[in-house]
Amino acid sequence: MRRILLTLVILTGLSGSAWAETITTTVNGMVCAFCATGIEKTFRKQPEVATVKVDLPRKRVVITTKPGKSLSDAKIKEVVTYSGYRMGPIVRER
Amino acid sequence: MKTFYQLPFYLLLASIINLASPAQGKPLSYVGGTMVMQENDETGHTLNVDYTFDPHFALGFYSKYEINQNEFWMAGPQLNTLLKRWNLPDGQGNIFSMTGAGMARQGNRDEPAAWLTLLADYETRRLFFSYESRFLYARDIEKSVWQRAYAGFAPYLATYDELNTWLLIRVDHHPAKHDHFVVTPVIRLFYKTIWLEAGYSSNNHVMVNWTVQF
Repeated sequence: MRRILLTLVILTGLSGSAWAETITTTVNGMVCAFCATGIEKTFRKQPEVATVKVDLPRKRVVITTKPGKSLSDAKIKEVVTYSGYRMGPIVRER
Repeated sequence: MKTFYQLPFYLLLASIINLASPAQGKPLSYVGGTMVMQENDETGHTLNVDYTFDPHFALGFYSKYEINQNEFWMAGPQLNTLLKRWNLPDGQGNIFSMTGAGMARQGNRDEPAAWLTLLADYETRRLFFSYESRFLYARDIEKSVWQRAYAGFAPYLATYDELNTWLLIRVDHHPAKHDHFVVTPVIRLFYKTIWLEAGYSSNNHVMVNWTVQF
């Protein structure tokens, strides 16, 4: 029984570490598609990032990381600020 | 060329003017981005290529063939600076400066030239306003001050992947020209990084401007 539990814990851990993360952040000042391209391109350059979607009506950027990769809040803030915008709250989902 | 030795002086002068500006609109893209802008209107034909190397600065090359009464050509490096940005939940405001120095040519005559443009804009997803003022000094070829304002709205709110359409009015004020005030109704279209603007002015000139960012 112990062995089975241990195997389950290890397998869960292994599969969990391979999950991709979906990160949603609000971007203040992102009001036009022309400007939003900068944010999209800068996020795409990050090696941890798989996809980037811009939701202009809600002023949101949705980032999906590569399996097993993550982006820290500090890194997200750095990218948004570096693109010339101000970051709002971050929501993470696995 | 007797005036080339004076170029460093005018570059320095332009930089000083730029630094003296109070604080720092969209002559900048994202860091690492290059923009090619081309304008054609009753004042002439302009080509501008900029590379954004910092969130607040872009360096590029500006060239204009001026045809409005006084015909001449000017070109030189230009520094675009974001002096101040307000990122608001539903809007964005900016103040930019574009400072350049180079040469102006009229016929066989060359003169050093320096220019400064100050641009302020504010936009939401529905409304757009901008005001800019340009100062140009090219010794005996041209000394001028020029102002431009845009006001407009988006008839529909496009998403990121759709064609964005804006309807605007542009007003130009050229104190030294015959047509002091020129009013141009403008349609502006953009899709992601491709931007096109067209209009027909009150003094019967076609205006076509475009920008590509990559």
